[in-house]
Amino acid sequence: MRRTIRLYRRLLGAQVRATLEYEADFWIMSLSAVLVQGIGVVFLWAIFESIPEINGWRFWEVVLIYAFVVISEGLSTLFTQGAWTLAVTVNFGQLDALLMRPFPPLLQVLSSEVGFNGLGNLVLGIGLVAAAVRHVDFTWSPGRIALGVILVIAAAGVKIGLNLLTNCAAFWLRSPYSMFAFSMHTFGELARFPITIYGLGVRIAITAVLPYAFMSYFPAAAVLSDGTARLLGLLTPLVAIYCLWLGATAFRLGLSRYESSGH
Amino acid sequence: MPTHRPEPRRRSDVDFSASVVGLASAKVHDGSVTLIQAIGLRKVFRKPDKAPGIRGSLRHLVQRRYSEHVAVDSIDLSIAEGEAVAYVGPNGAGKSTTVKMLSGILVPTAGQVHVDGLVPHRARVENARRVGVVFGQRTQLWWDLPVRESLELLRDMHGIDRSRYQERLERFDSVLGLGDLLPVTARKLSLGQRMRADLAAALLHEPRVVYLDEPTIGLDISVKDRVRSFVRQLVSEGTTVMLTTHDLSDIEEICQRIIIIDEGRLVYDGNLQAVKDTHVRERTMSFELEDSLLGADQIAARLPGARVHLESNGRELAVTFDRMTLGARQVLSAVLAEVEIVDMHIDEPAIESVVRKVYAGQLQAEHGGATNSEPMR
Repeated sequence: MRRTIRLYRRLLGAQVRATLEYEADFWIMSLSAVLVQGIGVVFLWAIFESIPEINGWRFWEVVLIYAFVVISEGLSTLFTQGAWTLAVTVNFGQLDALLMRPFPPLLQVLSSEVGFNGLGNLVLGIGLVAAAVRHVDFTWSPGRIALGVILVIAAAGVKIGLNLLTNCAAFWLRSPYSMFAFSMHTFGELARFPITIYGLGVRIAITAVLPYAFMSYFPAAAVLSDGTARLLGLLTPLVAIYCLWLGATAFRLGLSRYESSGH
Repeated sequence: MPTHRPEPRRRSDVDFSASVVGLASAKVHDGSVTLIQAIGLRKVFRKPDKAPGIRGSLRHLVQRRYSEHVAVDSIDLSIAEGEAVAYVGPNGAGKSTTVKMLSGILVPTAGQVHVDGLVPHRARVENARRVGVVFGQRTQLWWDLPVRESLELLRDMHGIDRSRYQERLERFDSVLGLGDLLPVTARKLSLGQRMRADLAAALLHEPRVVYLDEPTIGLDISVKDRVRSFVRQLVSEGTTVMLTTHDLSDIEEICQRIIIIDEGRLVYDGNLQAVKDTHVRERTMSFELEDSLLGADQIAARLPGARVHLESNGRELAVTFDRMTLGARQVLSAVLAEVEIVDMHIDEPAIESVVRKVYAGQLQAEHGGATNSEPMR
């Protein structure tokens, strides 16, 4: 286990160096992440300018949900961005090299890219939390804070598992584009808002089918409120384990279909 | 509880049926151990049937038709520890597909593979510790990292200790001239440099088995020589080498055994020298004559069974003979008895002509017995 973590860090570190071969990319990606996610917040603010609350959620509470997404996505981008390279890797037959190294292929894929935009996410996300806690009408105990940290990490696990699962479609689709995964990711963006505003179909889809709601709404609700949403939110770590297992299983099945290239 | 439940299929890394197979055939004639074993190895790819053009592609969206392409068709292989085997065949014969199944990259459609007691595609990580692969067409280095970084990552993955690693680097430097390449980013390497770095990366952990898939493709003569002498050295140290190539000098310089496949089927498997003895029995001696000759009938009369050809200028004579029935000395003395010669040379049988015969479909007919049967050794 220790060896695995150490090697994973080594591989990521190597990718940091490789990415810094293209310094401009580093700055562009980090800054654009702040901009993209920041625009989302501005959009929220614009909405709440005209309506004081949505289904009982006030602006700063929604900002907290939003921060959950931004941070958990930041973590997954920073540490497991490699999932998004799977389509190209499979299509070009580049998985061959990974399969001939004595380290689990799945971990090699996940660590094969560092998303520096994740840094931008983290900076913005932490800023949003800092700004929101002052405005949210709530008593902050150490227990709540610990819960928040655990749930953010679990939320990142949900995102990583779902990213992996959807990107594994590459083994079946065989195209060099991660279109399927990307459209699922876009669908997951719905979870940036309190999901009670959606119809039943969408709610079921983002809770049970591809549980994107567990990277934002439910864990945020577990920290902020009471009731069913809170109970579900406390299940986030279990959901994370389930999603990661799904992703790993899809990868294992996919690998047995892998055809390399140029027979 | 019923007592005679069928045993569930083991999913452990080490397939224990491997050791059974291993035991059954572990001892080859010379007492060495079988390291690579494949039985009925088969790989079928599914390919979409599309009519040409956009129209065909669009139609395929609604009418999905596929056909099966058998890349490797029931191949049996048995390679002993320390052997150097050439695996040859025309383009698309299934060479790379076989190597990819033996190395665990592809999962076979049917059949069994065992390499050093492991099923490669089930025990990938453990397999990677014992096996090294070089694909001539594609690099295994980290594209955006200096060669040194790639090697150090591999060192960490394999858990090679520092001093051993240094020894390996020095060795690679002396044979492959690796030193100059270490600080260079992989994507900036020339083809020849890349191949040398790739060899180092694949052999860093001193694998017992090495698969080389066209390791000299596109290289210039000097790099080819370097690569070949390096591989020869590996073989002399007891590494088992399986070499896929179109370059016949690679084969002649490195291998003792040749396996020929065509259209996914094993066509020949045997000793390289034996192949030459059986299929390249003809040898040609060419002479340059002191004086021009009018006819070669007298020489021909002295050499029954040989074909004697005299060029129209009367000064170049070629004698083609079966080297199992006639010796070069007999030919030489027969010629010298009739004429004075200025110069002569002998064309040695090249493996090229064997492979050519196979490609032309001749060998199969002549040597049907060897097809898909026990390896002839």
